Amino acid sequence: MSVPARPAAPAQAPADPNLPMVGEPAVPFFEIETLRAQQFIPVAKETLADLIAEQAQGKLIRPVFNWAGRNSLFPLHWGLACCAIEFAAAFGARWDAERFGVVPRSSPRQCDLLIVNGTVTWKVAHKLITLYEQMPEPKWVIAMGNCATGGGPFRTAYSVVPGVDKLVPVDVYIAGCPPRPEALLDGILLLETLIRERGE
Amino acid sequence: MEPKELEARLAGRLGDSLLGVEPFQGLAGRVRFRPEAAMSLFLTMRDELGFVHLSCVGGIDWVDHREVFYILWSDALKQYVLLSSDLDGKVPHIETASAVWPSANWHEREAWELVGITFDHHPDLRHLLLPEGYQFQPLLRSFLLHEPEELEVKTRHV
Repeated sequence: MSVPARPAAPAQAPADPNLPMVGEPAVPFFEIETLRAQQFIPVAKETLADLIAEQAQGKLIRPVFNWAGRNSLFPLHWGLACCAIEFAAAFGARWDAERFGVVPRSSPRQCDLLIVNGTVTWKVAHKLITLYEQMPEPKWVIAMGNCATGGGPFRTAYSVVPGVDKLVPVDVYIAGCPPRPEALLDGILLLETLIRERGE
Repeated sequence: MEPKELEARLAGRLGDSLLGVEPFQGLAGRVRFRPEAAMSLFLTMRDELGFVHLSCVGGIDWVDHREVFYILWSDALKQYVLLSSDLDGKVPHIETASAVWPSANWHEREAWELVGITFDHHPDLRHLLLPEGYQFQPLLRSFLLHEPEELEVKTRHV
C-alpha cells in the first residue's frame, strides 16, 4: 500500500522576542563548551554499549513506541457541528470505539489526534490552530465530513474555511455529510495503518 | 392596540417624523419613521407605551436604499410592534438603540457587519460573527458568491 508523504507543518507564527525560546538550555552553550574544555563535564566516548543502545533505539524501542502509540490514539473531545453527533455515537455503546484504544480526552495537552468534525469558520480558525499547537508531538489530524474536507455545501460562503487543510496538515479525510460512525472507525483504522507504515 | 390608536399616540410625540402606522401581519402595527426621530421614538415606545423588550434588530438591502427594522414586545399588551426606517445616502446611519434597550448592542453589531448600517454613538461597534479585519458586507446584494479566498488568519503564538 502506497502512503502519501506527510504534508509539511504550517508556518509558525513569529516568536515573541520577550518570551524565552522553547528548548533553550538553562546554561548557555558556550559555557558548556568551556566546562567541557576544562574537563568538568566528561565528553561521551563511543563505546560498544553506546552503539548497541543506538541500534536498540531505532530497531527495538521506536517500534514498541509506535505500536503503543497507534493503538492508543487519544482524540480531542471537541465538537463543531452535526458531525460531532456521529463522533459521539461512535464512542457510545453501539459502535464502542474504545475497543480500538481510542479515548476522547478533554485537554489538548493529553491528545495526539485532532478530529475536526464540522464546519470551520474563519472566526474559529485561530482557535483550531491554537488547539493543534497545544497538542504534543507526534500528532495527527482527521478531517471528518465534507465541511472539514473542502468546505462542503458552504464552500462559497463568506465565512467558512474551504477545507481545514488550509490551517493544519491533515492525514486522513473522511467523506460524508455526515459520515456514519463506521466511516469514522474506518478512518481511525486507516490512520493506524499510516502510522505503522511511516514508522514515526 | 390597533394601528390607528398607535398612530394617534405617536403623532403627538413625533410630528412630521412619523410617516405612518400600517397594519402588519397581526402585530400592533408597522411604524415607519424618519431616522432623525429615532431616539424620541425609542423612548416613547419604551416609557409611554410599555414596549420594554427589544426582540430583534436587522437591516435589509433594497439596492437603492437600505432599511433598518426593530421588533419590540410589550409584556402588558402581549403584542409585538415593528419599527422600520428607510436610510438614504452612501453611508446609511441611524442613532443606536443600545442606550434604550441594552440588548440592541449585539444585534446592531450584526447589522453593521452584514448589511453595513452604521449606528451612531454605539458603545462597541466591532465585528461579531466575522473575523476581525473583514472588508466586505456579505448580505448586500452587490456581494456575489465567489471562490473561497485566502483570508489572513491571525494566529496566536502558543
